[in-house]
Amino acid sequence: MNKRLVIKVLGVLMLIEALAMLPSLGIGLIHKDPRDAKAMLYSMLPLIAAGLPMWLLAKPSENNMRAKEGFVIVALAWLQLSLFGALPFVFSGMIPNYIDALFEAVSGFTTTGATVVTDFVNRPHGVMFWRAFTHWIGGMGVLVLTLALLPQMTGRTSHLVRAESPGPSMSKIVPKMGDSAKILYLIYAVLTVIEFIALIIAGMSVYDAAIHALSTAGTGGFSTYGASIGAFNSLAIEIIITVFMVLYGVNFALYYHALIGDWKAITKSEELRWYLGIYLFSVVFITIFISPMYGSVAKGLRYSTFEVASLVSTTGFGLVDFNTWPQAAKALVLILMFLGSCAGSTAGGMKTIRVALLCKIGVREVRRTFQPRKVQVIRFEGKGVEEAQLSQIAVFFFVYLALILLGMLLISLENRFDMQANFSAALTCVSNVGPGFGAIASDFAGYGSFAKIVLSLLMLAGRLEMFPILVLFHPAIWRKG
Amino acid sequence: MRILVIGDGKVGHTLVEHLAQEGHDVVIIDSNDEVLERTQDTLDVMCIRGNGANAQTLMDAGAKKADIIIAATASDETNMLCCLIGKRMGAKYSIARIRDPEYNESLSMLRHELDIDMAINPERATAVEIGHLLRFPFAANVESFARGRVEMVGFRAQEGDPFIGLPMKDISRELKGIPQVLYALVEREGQVMIPVGDFSIRPGDLVHVAGDSITITNYFRYLGKSSVKIKDVMLLGGGRISYYLARILVPTGTRVSMIEIDQKKAEQLSEALPEVNVIYGDGTDQELLEQEGLRQMDAFVTLSNRDEENLMTGLFAVKQGVPKVIVKNNRVAYADLIGSLGLDSVVSPRSVTCANILRYVRARANSGEGTMVEKLHRLVGGKAEALEFTAKAGDPYIGIPLKDLNRRKNTLVAVIVRQRQVIVPFGGDHIEAGDTVIIISCESGISDLNEVIRK
Repeated sequence: MNKRLVIKVLGVLMLIEALAMLPSLGIGLIHKDPRDAKAMLYSMLPLIAAGLPMWLLAKPSENNMRAKEGFVIVALAWLQLSLFGALPFVFSGMIPNYIDALFEAVSGFTTTGATVVTDFVNRPHGVMFWRAFTHWIGGMGVLVLTLALLPQMTGRTSHLVRAESPGPSMSKIVPKMGDSAKILYLIYAVLTVIEFIALIIAGMSVYDAAIHALSTAGTGGFSTYGASIGAFNSLAIEIIITVFMVLYGVNFALYYHALIGDWKAITKSEELRWYLGIYLFSVVFITIFISPMYGSVAKGLRYSTFEVASLVSTTGFGLVDFNTWPQAAKALVLILMFLGSCAGSTAGGMKTIRVALLCKIGVREVRRTFQPRKVQVIRFEGKGVEEAQLSQIAVFFFVYLALILLGMLLISLENRFDMQANFSAALTCVSNVGPGFGAIASDFAGYGSFAKIVLSLLMLAGRLEMFPILVLFHPAIWRKG
Repeated sequence: MRILVIGDGKVGHTLVEHLAQEGHDVVIIDSNDEVLERTQDTLDVMCIRGNGANAQTLMDAGAKKADIIIAATASDETNMLCCLIGKRMGAKYSIARIRDPEYNESLSMLRHELDIDMAINPERATAVEIGHLLRFPFAANVESFARGRVEMVGFRAQEGDPFIGLPMKDISRELKGIPQVLYALVEREGQVMIPVGDFSIRPGDLVHVAGDSITITNYFRYLGKSSVKIKDVMLLGGGRISYYLARILVPTGTRVSMIEIDQKKAEQLSEALPEVNVIYGDGTDQELLEQEGLRQMDAFVTLSNRDEENLMTGLFAVKQGVPKVIVKNNRVAYADLIGSLGLDSVVSPRSVTCANILRYVRARANSGEGTMVEKLHRLVGGKAEALEFTAKAGDPYIGIPLKDLNRRKNTLVAVIVRQRQVIVPFGGDHIEAGDTVIIISCESGISDLNEVIRK
């Protein structure tokens, strides 16, 4: 492995993380909170102290990035991002325990939104902003950001982006990777600003609007209140956030097509149809079951549109507690936690395209049992899908399930909560959703350090779509050559 | 520039590699997922699966806004169709690979009717290149610039050559009696460098010298290298390159033998090329080669379809003492290896085709701004380039002695051609508007004279 190249890139990423802490420092200074200034400055120091020499002194003998280096860089980058990203929580005294802080940071960068914070009164503004900002960076990806800022940094970058961007196949929107990254971040930033302004108009304070806009953009789910969006009790805010949650679950390439006036790409997108289909079906289904509970269809619809959007986009904002819903609605909530949104969006989960293809594979297999000689090519977006890709998706599904089950087993070792809580904790972490059932309906504070580390790894594995993190555990990757 | 390449084959891939490196926005279309995946992994380009002659695919790939569309699929017809459709959609220029000799006959008409801006025939281009090499048999390669006024010749330095061991800065003083040429490039153990200062040439180095054609001829006569003249040539394989090469060689009075393994093909060749001695047999059969007088040949060119066969037979010919052996090899990765085996002259249709197309693309990329790249030659397996520019009036470097200009590293202003005069420049020389300037560089991607010399 080209270790020097890995070190150099990781050094650059440290500097970028330090840079990303500047806005939080600014917010802290505006609010004149000494805890913020201390926390952010103390956290930036080690990043710069380690990053600068790594960047300047590592001299790679060749700039050649193979699949191996690409995956290792992505996995280590995210670990490093989280390890250092946890520091502001510790230094500010907001989350004194480092493992808890690490869980919070991983949850932030992976846009999960699962939290260990139970008390939201008198929290340092800058650090709370940092907490939301991790969602924003993690949503589109830190390596994509690096590419947008420094397109010439490394030679072959397709492995990096492939490992970081969600979905089974990476599709570039323009020929050059650097340009693609710039366009993606631009669309992302513009959407964020629009939501920010809309939230202010709907009556949020500027600070809350910023936090919630960032949090929605990354489909994360961190809020400034324990009751999440429920705390505002404003229909306008709920509608705005619902709309944006759904929007961030759409493949960003489609926005680019819209911008250049290519509407055909959008009307033709099969994944978008599946995504919206799943959304609408779930809203109707859940509305039917929860309306009696809230006394009116209007209320049922209000809560189900929001909650389904929050789950499908894997954001995890809460409006009402779905733990109190009837069993049928709860069962669908659990299923939605698996699905996730479109490839190329900022959401987590399995991704609509994989779900759609798995359904098609299933149907094909059924037909094959009684009509074995029929040639059946699976089509998606109007094109035949290669068998190799189909089997990759089937394997992905297996690994996804296996990780959830293994995670459940491991956190059950602590023997703290029941199986419902443990299963939903593993699922919600791998899918990067956030809330779960039972004991973890609002926070994860009840778990011990071991479970938090396991869950952190699950969140990272989920965000990077399993393999980049699993690669680190394969001995062959560390062997010479 | 936005460049659309159709066909991710040998030529397509190499082209895309260079175009992407030079910063163009490249989209490549191929129907094979597997090759596209490899390209996607290694290069920063957009890959689209589909048939390049399909209007919808071309539309998706952005043919409307493309500056150049290059069709390099295996089929001539597809290539022509791609160019035709692409042009109609709005692409500015089109380049098609057209290799069938039958189309070649009516090429100018086809090009006009289909509105193709450049048609490249890899086999013909390769044959022309080999023809060049046979003119200077001691040379590993020969390039000519400025309509043949300037020539650059690469050859292996041998023990006893007068320049061995002399530092470059003293060479013109020490070798007063010899025609003065420019020592432009030296390749040693796979490393390419521009010899300057204290650098001295060792035996075994591959040296490139440049100068006007007469001086070059005199220089080699003085070194005692140009006494051999090629009279008898044997070609292994009766493919298209052999056909074109025979058509080039026969009129110059060279006797050509051609070995072809397929009886029918051999008969056809014999009919089409009555002056050529066509032999029906297996060209890798050593007995046959000896029987047909390999040892008496002045040159042996291996042009079969298999790289390995070409190499092995080529090595055999070297062993038999044939003075000039040229090997066709399509895999660039082997180039270094072959050099170490004592086979100096390797031609690759892929490199020849790419060089031709790149030359055109660069010229287009620069038209309108800065100076124009007239020609681009890739040297020593693509590790160095020679570029021909025309200096434009109004550029900042005009009239300033070269020693007062900032010159780019690893780059050499090799030759200036002013009207009919060829100047090998020293620090005191300057460039005038309208001069043809030849630049040699170990870097690729130079497209403007202003990138090389600045005030």
